[in-house]
Amino acid sequence: MTVTVTAGPQGGQGGAQGGSSEPLWRAIAVFRFASLGYATLRVALIDRAEYSRPDWAWVVIAAMAAWTAGTTIAYARPERRTRLLLSADLVVTAGLLLSTAVLQYPQAPRHGVTPVTATWVAGPVLAWAVRYGRRAGTIAALIVSGCDVVLVRGAVFGVALNGVVLLILAGVIVGHLARLAAEVEAERQYAIEVEAASRERERLARDIHDSVLQVLALVQRRGAEAGGAAAELGRLAGQQEAALRALVRGGSGDGTGGPAPGAPGEADLRAAILSAQTDRVTVSVPAQAVLLQQAATDELASAVRAALDNVRRHCGEQARAWVLVEDEPGLVTVTVRDDGPGIPDGRLAEAAAAGRLGVSQAIRGRLRDLGGSATITSVPGEGTEVELRLPRVGSAGVRRQRERA
Amino acid sequence: MERGGPVRVMVVDDHPMWRDAVARDLAEAGYEVVATAAGGAQALRITGAARPDVVVLDLQLPDMSGVEVTRGLRAAHPAVRVLVLSASGEQQDVLDAVKAGAVGYLLKSAARPEFLDAVRRTADGDAVFTPGLAALVLGEFRRLASVPSAGGGDAPRLTERETEVLRMVATGMSYKQIATRLVLSHRTVQNHVQNTLGKLHLHNRVELVRYAIEHGLAEDSEPG
Repeated sequence: MTVTVTAGPQGGQGGAQGGSSEPLWRAIAVFRFASLGYATLRVALIDRAEYSRPDWAWVVIAAMAAWTAGTTIAYARPERRTRLLLSADLVVTAGLLLSTAVLQYPQAPRHGVTPVTATWVAGPVLAWAVRYGRRAGTIAALIVSGCDVVLVRGAVFGVALNGVVLLILAGVIVGHLARLAAEVEAERQYAIEVEAASRERERLARDIHDSVLQVLALVQRRGAEAGGAAAELGRLAGQQEAALRALVRGGSGDGTGGPAPGAPGEADLRAAILSAQTDRVTVSVPAQAVLLQQAATDELASAVRAALDNVRRHCGEQARAWVLVEDEPGLVTVTVRDDGPGIPDGRLAEAAAAGRLGVSQAIRGRLRDLGGSATITSVPGEGTEVELRLPRVGSAGVRRQRERA
Repeated sequence: MERGGPVRVMVVDDHPMWRDAVARDLAEAGYEVVATAAGGAQALRITGAARPDVVVLDLQLPDMSGVEVTRGLRAAHPAVRVLVLSASGEQQDVLDAVKAGAVGYLLKSAARPEFLDAVRRTADGDAVFTPGLAALVLGEFRRLASVPSAGGGDAPRLTERETEVLRMVATGMSYKQIATRLVLSHRTVQNHVQNTLGKLHLHNRVELVRYAIEHGLAEDSEPG
């Protein structure tokens, strides 16, 4: 995704270019005009007596005014903030600063007089800092303050040092600020993009929900009525509907499955078991999340899947099955029932005795490891029911009653 | 419900293909489709004139939620019975719609005979419980029982028999199978299921009134 901040004939040179630094550029322009006013007042009122050539000082002030106007216009457009312009800015400013040497009496620096440019010299330092960052700002500050030091010729170095330190600080801090602003801008841009992407995903999910799922449900319904090959198509459509529905639910997050799990390490048992839903398997769950430790959730879901596999193996592909998830304060119960022929009386015990109860035994084992129990009941002609009971950790002990057969 | 002529049905669904298919099915089966609506606001607007006995309502509508539509329909036309259809298992939405007064819930993928049967039962005043709805209602009663502050002692409870029946419905057993298993009449099983819904509706109404009074929305309302 590309974001165009300003349309220009040439691309920017990276760095702190962009929407976030615009207020800084405006601030520099304001600073230049304010400094120009200050320098004018100093020449006119405070330092007038120090100038050997006051008329030429006014020429310099006029040049400063012209340059201030020129740079303000030039810096207004991002594509014009080139290295060439910023270098020219620095050279012109340094030149005007150095002109002080021929305008003032030689002893002027000793009287604490500022150069003719006064604080105006900070302009290009700020420009370099905003445009190219902390290091460029520091270098520009060193160049300008170097000229300043040359001017006073060591006469009152202590006073000059103050200005040097302030200038360097300005270069560093403004450069840093510009960088921060650019980073914030980039982050904001990224957040906008992420938001747009997630909104698009939600829209897609909604669209799929509104159209594709409806059509699949319709195909499934019509197919089942038509019978034959169409019934097979309908069954496939039903499977796809269930799969797509699960996908959309997972993708959009909220709105469909209720609140997400709270504590870390916990998982919603409903989500794990709902994934077992097909056109032959109906999964029914409460509206609230059923939170268990991740490991317990995985194990229970595996046990349910094993039970459903068992149904398919023993009762055929056409057998229907229902899974019910119940959540009580101290107990989670998952019931798997099928409409198969059931297991004749005594066969279960007989099979267990003969060690031929592989899957059932595995399911019991899983539940026992978790501290729960599994009950298998069957009435001939009425299908088989597997009840998985898992006491919640911390509730009154492990119950293993009702373990029959 | 005793009434001359065919059962009057209104179909509310924003998907034209689905709406037409459902309307056609209903018409072929001898129902009178008195109106169709593509959105909730439209449905609420035309219900008064169309006078349906049963509203077949999709939970996902573009302009308002199925829960709001159910609430609005029940408030303005208490005699209208709402059968909720939903394309997916939006458990909380389905539960909310049922608490708001819907008397039945069916997945959209349900086969035509199942759907027509559900409409007939809704028109007869029976609750239409799928395994999914039974599990939701069971879960809701357990939630109400486990929340201590939810109105003190008047949180509704299921009898042991009702819980037993709901669990059987939730594991896919038909009323007939349940009746055989529990040695009850078909009608008794149906009454048990109906009662659970009645308790939930009543509780919901009581809660709404209490909420209204607590928030100064009602001066002198009586529940029910």
